[in-house]
Amino acid sequence: MTTAPAGLAATGLHKAFGRQPVLTGLDLNVPAGTLTAVLGPSGSGKTTLLRILAGFERPERGSVTIGDVIVDDKRRHVPAERRRVGYVSQEGSLFPHLTVEANVGFGVRRRQRHGPRVGDLLDAVGLTGLARRYPHQLSGGQQQRVALARALAVGPRIVLLDEPFASLDASLRAQVRADVHAILRQAETTAVVITHDQDEALSIANLVAVIRGGKIAQLAPPQDLYFRPADPDLACFVGEANLIDGVADGGLACTPFGVLAVHSALPAVPSAPVTLLVRPEQVEVRPGAEGPGVPGRVLSSGFYGHDAVIRVAPDPSCLPSPIIARVPGHLRVLPGSAIRIGVRGPVIAWPRHRPADTTTHRTDSVAAASVTAPQRGSHR
Amino acid sequence: MTGNRTRHDLGRQDEIRRAEVTTTRVARTRQGVFGDMVPARRTAPPRILIGASGAVAAVLLAPLVFLLIEARGAGTGTIAHLIWRPLTASLLWNTVRLTVVVTALCAIIGTLAAWCVERTDLPGRRVWAVLVVIPFAIPDFVVSFGWASLATWVQGFRGAVLVMTLAVYPLVYLPVAASLRGADPGQEETARSLGLGRARTFVRVTLAQARGAILGGCVLVALVLLAEYGAFEILGYQTFTTEIFTEFQVSFNVPTACALSLVLVALSVVVLGGDTAARGRGRLARTGPLAQRMTRRHRLGRATLPVLAGFVALTGLALGVPLGASVYWIFEGGAHAISGVSLVYAGWHTALYGGVAAALATLLSLPVALLAVRRGGRGGRLLERSTYLVLAMPGLVIALALSYFAERYAGGFGYQSAPLLIVAYAILFFPLALVGVRASVAHAPVGLEEAARSLGQGRLAVLGRVTLPLVGPGLAAAFCLVFLAAVTELTATLILVPTGVQTLATQFWAYQQNLSYGQAAPFALVIILVAAAPGYVISRYFDRLPARATRPL
Repeated sequence: MTTAPAGLAATGLHKAFGRQPVLTGLDLNVPAGTLTAVLGPSGSGKTTLLRILAGFERPERGSVTIGDVIVDDKRRHVPAERRRVGYVSQEGSLFPHLTVEANVGFGVRRRQRHGPRVGDLLDAVGLTGLARRYPHQLSGGQQQRVALARALAVGPRIVLLDEPFASLDASLRAQVRADVHAILRQAETTAVVITHDQDEALSIANLVAVIRGGKIAQLAPPQDLYFRPADPDLACFVGEANLIDGVADGGLACTPFGVLAVHSALPAVPSAPVTLLVRPEQVEVRPGAEGPGVPGRVLSSGFYGHDAVIRVAPDPSCLPSPIIARVPGHLRVLPGSAIRIGVRGPVIAWPRHRPADTTTHRTDSVAAASVTAPQRGSHR
Repeated sequence: MTGNRTRHDLGRQDEIRRAEVTTTRVARTRQGVFGDMVPARRTAPPRILIGASGAVAAVLLAPLVFLLIEARGAGTGTIAHLIWRPLTASLLWNTVRLTVVVTALCAIIGTLAAWCVERTDLPGRRVWAVLVVIPFAIPDFVVSFGWASLATWVQGFRGAVLVMTLAVYPLVYLPVAASLRGADPGQEETARSLGLGRARTFVRVTLAQARGAILGGCVLVALVLLAEYGAFEILGYQTFTTEIFTEFQVSFNVPTACALSLVLVALSVVVLGGDTAARGRGRLARTGPLAQRMTRRHRLGRATLPVLAGFVALTGLALGVPLGASVYWIFEGGAHAISGVSLVYAGWHTALYGGVAAALATLLSLPVALLAVRRGGRGGRLLERSTYLVLAMPGLVIALALSYFAERYAGGFGYQSAPLLIVAYAILFFPLALVGVRASVAHAPVGLEEAARSLGQGRLAVLGRVTLPLVGPGLAAAFCLVFLAAVTELTATLILVPTGVQTLATQFWAYQQNLSYGQAAPFALVIILVAAAPGYVISRYFDRLPARATRPL
């Protein structure tokens, strides 16, 4: 914590295992002092990226810069132990033959090992009384906090965390996640957290990088990523999304829900076909068959206490595919009941280049999904 | 082990996650666009590791190569003629029928004993658990001596079945007990809840869980039986091994010994191959989270007394008779029999050879274990597999090949010298060392070393502060395993022991051959004592293995 946090830049990283390319020219810029989440499904190359940054793995092409020092490129390779990069693995990787105290003090110089430094860190991660325990005597969450304290003890310029909460119970995860977030913030270090959990990424990070096809598809603050995703696929990947077709004219778009305000830049072509993103919480649901809005029937509903998520089959003459809506928990909508739906704008839109291609694919998958939903009554 | 746990957990979470989201439209799109799987990360093993493992494999397979060279030297026609004889058929009959009967008996006794100790409320379980294993440390030829010196009817086929079953059943007991301890008791409860009765649950679930362990134990038993010399010589039962020994050591008939050795090695290969084929593809690993619940033990109820009587009989016959016979002959032989000097002298040489051989075998197995555990890969697996071939070479064949080669091609250099004996031990017991070293290497996953390096530690510091402390106990167990085996080895020692030197086993053998039972008995007791100490260390280590393995880390 004595060291100033450093920024990190990876440029044009290529890495393949056997014939399978994993990273294909990945660029990532992490500003100093931020907490950046790298989000992607399993097998997308997240861990490989982290291991390259930590120095356990060498990229075939590309370079890695930490602070203003190039640590990896064609000619140079600074080994892991000289990068001053803290690494917290999925399972924590605590040394089973050492106590908590000895684990945390592992990288500290011999003289300071039993000094106040280790004690302070244990206080910081909330494990004051557990210094003499062995790793197997700790719960999963405690182990992760020890692993974090151990990484912070050497005063790293950057901390890398590889799915640090994946091995924890759902109930424990939220708490440990908040703790770790607080500790990292207090330590004022640059951190990169890898995760396949979008809630995790959106809730703790300053910046979220979505990895797709071996590249970073978008790097943005959480709000921007959620409300202004770069393309329809990203919109579906981060959060739930309804994609509907429309025709854009200037700052407005004509849709089955009427004319909606569009707040993304669009080509200044009049009457351009576009795909619009409507988040479920932007969908307004009004009970009853009469009144404004698109008529439809509730296909299914899932109740989560604070809110409920319902699937609606709109009148096919208005909209071909079901719509997902998030409604307040107190609103009682039973499957089969008739409702009307509208959209609260503004929304964002992308030009539709290949109208047949992407949209059809999505409609098909929805049709397949709706087979399982209880569908009572017909629309006509 | 840690890796397994996390992978399980991750797998489960992925499953839950998938189940949660498949109903939504988003998830389907997401999987289509993002869900391409990538094979597991695998870095190429360092060349030095491959080189070292290759060298080890070459050393291990050298005796086999020597044997084939020898056979070629004698001429294919001669060898074929020597094999197609009535003698071979009768040896084959003797060897095979004994192997089948004893292996079957050991499988039954070992499995039942293990089940009673691990899964029932048998009174005095902990004591039985120790007593039942001790025969492991008593050499077969001592058991054989104990019985044959007391009862004249113990000889021939019946005697061989009795003696060998009592001497080697722990080879089935040990793995089966370990596997029952590690197996998921929840599976038995699940089977009961699915409507299976006690007996069918035992057969379809419990035995199925232990199937791999039982098979593994049976293979070891069969290999020991194929290689055994001393016990059969005492009992006057002729097998391939005794015949080869006689041809080589007494008649100096090298071509015949060589031809019969080829048949013996072929038999062992059949046993090893049968094991691989019979194992099948089923996985027996537990799939749930690894926190182990205490099992409710089965009540023996009215069967308690008969089962206890069975355990008393088993330990009495397997442990009491050899020990009792040795003690009996010491007193019967009179005071003049015990010569402290020769005991200490032989004991020193035994410990010296055993210790050096154990260190060498442990060292040799290190690169192979590292390659196999850490780097997967087709090359690594192939190398590791090739070292299993050593199991198919009885000690007698290894000794024979090495001594013949030293005499013929090295100009007699090294023949009947200590280094050659030590090398023979190291090759012979390499598989034992590999078992211990593999387990210990698995205790030091690469992740821990990487964690240490990211904390600023150089390679040497990582080795000293992380890898060695974690691997150490396992290496010690491997050392003890080989040491124990070397102390109780007789056949190869008889051929290769340096001129003018006696080990405990060879001195015992010399006295026993002269029917000087009173003088032989103290050597038998000392062998048992020397072998018991490392045996205790090993059992402690392997007892702790499952507990350590389930540690969440």
